[in-house]
Amino acid sequence: MKKILISSIILFASVIANAQITKAELTATGLTCSMCSKATYKQLTSIPEVEKVETDLNKTAFILYFKNGSTVNPGNLKKKVDDAGFSVGELVVVFNFNNQKAENNSSFIQDNITYTFMDTKTGVLAGEVKVQILDKGFVVEKEYKKLSKLVKQYPSYATINNNLYHIKTL
Amino acid sequence: MKKLFFIIAAFFSLGVKGQELFVFTEPASNMPAKSLGVRDMNAFMFEKDGKLNYHNMPELMWGINKKWMVHVQGFISNRQEGGLEAEGGSLYAKYRFLSKDAIQSHFRMAAYGRYSLNRADIHQQEIETMGHNTGYETGLIATQLLHKVAISSSISYERALDNKPAYKFPETESNSAVNYTLSVGKLMLPKVYKDYKQTNMNLMLELLGQRLNDNGKSYLDIAPSVQFIINSQARIDIGYRQELYSTMKRTAPNGIVLKFEYTFFNVFK
Repeated sequence: MKKILISSIILFASVIANAQITKAELTATGLTCSMCSKATYKQLTSIPEVEKVETDLNKTAFILYFKNGSTVNPGNLKKKVDDAGFSVGELVVVFNFNNQKAENNSSFIQDNITYTFMDTKTGVLAGEVKVQILDKGFVVEKEYKKLSKLVKQYPSYATINNNLYHIKTL
Repeated sequence: MKKLFFIIAAFFSLGVKGQELFVFTEPASNMPAKSLGVRDMNAFMFEKDGKLNYHNMPELMWGINKKWMVHVQGFISNRQEGGLEAEGGSLYAKYRFLSKDAIQSHFRMAAYGRYSLNRADIHQQEIETMGHNTGYETGLIATQLLHKVAISSSISYERALDNKPAYKFPETESNSAVNYTLSVGKLMLPKVYKDYKQTNMNLMLELLGQRLNDNGKSYLDIAPSVQFIINSQARIDIGYRQELYSTMKRTAPNGIVLKFEYTFFNVFK
């Protein structure tokens, strides 16, 4: 019942936004070798929405550029890294916002995905803004444990769902 | 034994970069999902009477998903009269059940099993389901990648069956064994990564041991190797296996191993 209540609150509180994801910066963990990195690179380039991937081999980081007008789900990016045999240590996505209000526990919907602000600075977001995905599997384990302690403040953080992400502006 | 410790200590002190794509053993990590790997292993083993045994073991590897991978392998050798002959094949599966990733480090554990068929003669007390005995092997692997040094260890149970149709496993011999391995690997080159085209060089040192369950006979081998990874996709391994001690009968424990491997990424949808 609590879950339904929470999700309906989120649903009513969310506004359908026009905030496209244009770019993502992904750091993979669990690897050092170039063969492992290439495996991850090949997985990421196989995503249809991805136009180009740039790599920083020393930091095992990947910058993904998305095709104009494409629908991006952060969960799909994570799945590709998992498939390569590794994990996501950090995922920062670049949203192109159109005067989006940012405030803790407020949400917006983009491409049927709900993004809820968490541990963020209050403000109005316009233009390209970097936000970090905070959900389980998108941050290193230590960070996730730290964030889990905030669950009382952000009850929806306990739900792990491919259509609900928690974000923080950087 | 002191000498061995010195070699291992010297190896560790050479640098801090490491790799885990070992030449004589498999790590707990799997190959990428939906990818296909092709491998050809060539072993030139020196028989104690001076004869050279050549084994060719072509292998296909498939990463089904992030947890499962399978290998199919063929065994060809010149041990039998009349030159090169196909002697058997095997099926290998590995399941990665634990994976803890952190920045440039990981700890993984996997379970594996192999079933092999072989129709060659049974010529030694050592049990080897890779290219010699019909039988099966099942074991556990743990691999740690830490600050770019990779260390991997495995323990397995290996059981030999009859090499059908012509050769029964001798009743007087131990038909099962416990194997244990310890492998360390280190990335020597490049010092700094710039792109995927840079050739990587890894140095590896592995210890491979077996103990026969019924009579307690055992051996321990040391196997240093050098590995080149070209274009982050092709692998060339050159290894040497040397017996440190053995109390069991082995036909050709020492020799050179040459391995070639190529990974085709995202072959399967």
